Amino acid sequence: MTIHAGHAGAPRKALPPRPSVLRQMWTSRADYLYVLPAIVVMLIVIAYPVYYTIDLSFFKTPPGLQLKDKIFVGVENYTAILSSEVFWKVTLNTIIWTVASTLIAFVLGYAAALALHRDFAGRAVLRAILIIPWVISAVAASYIWKWMYHSDFGIIGQVLVQLGLTDRQPNFIDNVHTVLPSLIVVNIWREFPFAMIMIMAGLQTVPEQLLRAAKVDGASAWQRFWHVTFPHLSGVSTVTILLLAVANFNSFIVPWITTGGGPSNASHIWITHIYELAFGRQRWGVAAAYSVLLFIIVMSLGYFYVRALSGNEKKEEGP
Amino acid sequence: MRNYRLGRALAHGAVVSALAVSMLNTSALGQSVDLSQWSPEYVRSIAGTEEYNTAEQCGAVTPLDYEGKLTFWYQGVFEGDPDLLRQYYKEFFEAFRTTYPNIELEEQALTYNDLLDKFRTALLGNAGPMVVRLQILGGVEFASKGYLQELSPEDVGWKTEDFWPGAMKSVMWEGKAYGIPTNNETMALIWNADIFERAGLDPEAPPATWDDVVAYSKQIHDTLGISGYGLVARKNAGNTPYRFMPQLWGYGGGVFDEADPSPTYEEIRLDSDASKQALQASYDMYVRDQSVPVSALTNQQADNQPLFLAGQLAMMISHPSDYNVMLDLQAKATGTDQEKAQTVIDNMRYGLIPTGPDGKRAVVFGGSNIHILNPEYVEGGEVDEAAAKAMVCFWTSPEWSLKMAYAGSNPGNLNGFKTVWMKERLDSIKFLDVTTAMLPYGIPFPTLPETPEIMNIIIPDMLQNVLTGAMTVDEAAADAAQKVRDLTEGGGL
Repeated sequence: MTIHAGHAGAPRKALPPRPSVLRQMWTSRADYLYVLPAIVVMLIVIAYPVYYTIDLSFFKTPPGLQLKDKIFVGVENYTAILSSEVFWKVTLNTIIWTVASTLIAFVLGYAAALALHRDFAGRAVLRAILIIPWVISAVAASYIWKWMYHSDFGIIGQVLVQLGLTDRQPNFIDNVHTVLPSLIVVNIWREFPFAMIMIMAGLQTVPEQLLRAAKVDGASAWQRFWHVTFPHLSGVSTVTILLLAVANFNSFIVPWITTGGGPSNASHIWITHIYELAFGRQRWGVAAAYSVLLFIIVMSLGYFYVRALSGNEKKEEGP
Repeated sequence: MRNYRLGRALAHGAVVSALAVSMLNTSALGQSVDLSQWSPEYVRSIAGTEEYNTAEQCGAVTPLDYEGKLTFWYQGVFEGDPDLLRQYYKEFFEAFRTTYPNIELEEQALTYNDLLDKFRTALLGNAGPMVVRLQILGGVEFASKGYLQELSPEDVGWKTEDFWPGAMKSVMWEGKAYGIPTNNETMALIWNADIFERAGLDPEAPPATWDDVVAYSKQIHDTLGISGYGLVARKNAGNTPYRFMPQLWGYGGGVFDEADPSPTYEEIRLDSDASKQALQASYDMYVRDQSVPVSALTNQQADNQPLFLAGQLAMMISHPSDYNVMLDLQAKATGTDQEKAQTVIDNMRYGLIPTGPDGKRAVVFGGSNIHILNPEYVEGGEVDEAAAKAMVCFWTSPEWSLKMAYAGSNPGNLNGFKTVWMKERLDSIKFLDVTTAMLPYGIPFPTLPETPEIMNIIIPDMLQNVLTGAMTVDEAAADAAQKVRDLTEGGGL
């Protein structure tokens, strides 16, 4: 195949008109036919529920009426949510929960991955042990942590008392100030293995010859990490952080099973509050409006996730 | 919206009428059991006086050779129930299948706290079961929305007079019956006589008033360093209102006027002085005296049971079945734990629920009701009416309404009290007298569609706001009253 490079001084030829979208679709009709079943399924299981949720968010659903008898109220549900004290309290909880869980799980996972990247005796066993929190059932883990945190006879408190670190059983989950940090600890425990696995996979892509060359040039371990390893992991780190953030934003099981959002809404995050509004209180309209707001935020995170993925692909393709 | 208000007004009228009827001398209405004579002695005197043949009676409603299909969801046993009850549930379904061998039955048990959520969700997708047995506070919500068929005891061969008037109120909506009571329960105060003695209290005398409960709880905690009273304040758990409402009513408070002889549910009383006194008593025990389990905010009654058996809790409100639960738990203990548990069981005492300062004694008139759904909300769009009625008849029969309530509550069908199994039960289930003696003090939850949210969310929220210090007693009471107001007016978040 011969490539004709353009001459700087040569007059530009007019480009042929770009075919319309419909024409392109018609030309590629066979390709569209192949993906049609997937598109139909997506329309049914994603597009319709999204449309229905948005539609429902403009209606009121009192406890004495069926959903089909809902009353149109315009944007009243949105204004009710945004003017509610509970909403802002729950929003603050959600931000603390998401940011703290994501960042700490990421940092711990990163550190664990770096530690496990080096060769030492028992590495495989340790790696398997560290993955356990991520693979066991979240429901089972939540119940176990609930009992370990129990304010009257939880094992964590008992150990602290036995060690003389405290006079009486600490109150982890029955106190409005300590409940959220206590649940964040559980969430981090559950999620840091995911970050660890992602970073371990990323570490496989760091060029060994670059690290050796840096070492030969006299770079310290920290300099090799900071100038070689860390930049190479930036792509996978961004993706990991975004995936953790989305997962934490939608994290339901740990707070719901352990405290049900209590006490006094202190551990409610958006997703548990939406569940309670919908299924506990039948405020389907309000819950739908809440879900639309959550959807917008998660979609924004999704946009950055896709951008991060595209960026990684471009880097891999090179200049 | 106007229809909604009209419905509420009609419902109020119906409830007032029903209450007025229930206030009449029950024997004058042809009640199967003379409720005006109700006492433990009377219950003993009628036990074992009648014989019933369930197959024969239900066979008159649905022929025993009927071929059909039935889907059935019910509030079943959960972790806090005794093994004895599990056995009766097993026997019930075996007996039904033997009696109606040609009815293909698909049953599904759900716990108290899960049933409402799952049932609501299924109904939104027209995927409900044909028959459902719901907790007593759930029926009106679904009847008001048109999900349930009209169903009265007469439809399955019984008489309305065969059931407690208070229980029948819980299935009425706009003057019509939409279900039949399966069982009715009133709880009692349980205490550990050994702990009382060691704390310097009279071991055989329970606290007479709620103020005494507060004082006893403090004395026990200060003397022995263990929890006095088993407070429960978890959200989304039926245990919370069942334990707090008797306290609220005892002090003279209420959500509305539900504790009055003729409630209208129009006046909200959660922020009344009497209601605040009740809330203050909980605050005093949890915050001021720290004499109750710290875990009360996340605990259910099932969490109090092991504490009680371990001798770490002196008083709690529960069913007579807790005695059997203690026996079951003891059987699972080993070594010295088993001996300790035996000491607790030997010292287990039951008494009437304490009164308020003015001598008012109250308890939640609890239980469950069985309902048949309208076909359009059922999976497949059809209800096998004959099969559904067979199940309803079977469960509400004197025999099975008693057996299914054997250890925990009382039969919905009053004729159950006359059966030989009641006599057997009086001899084998300890402390049954106390709970039957509490029945006349039973107050039904308000018969409104909003009641589940009020009892499962607003009341626990109010308690938690006070106990965590998030609000003062006054603020929490006012906040809860406002939430009820918003809810009944169709607004609020």
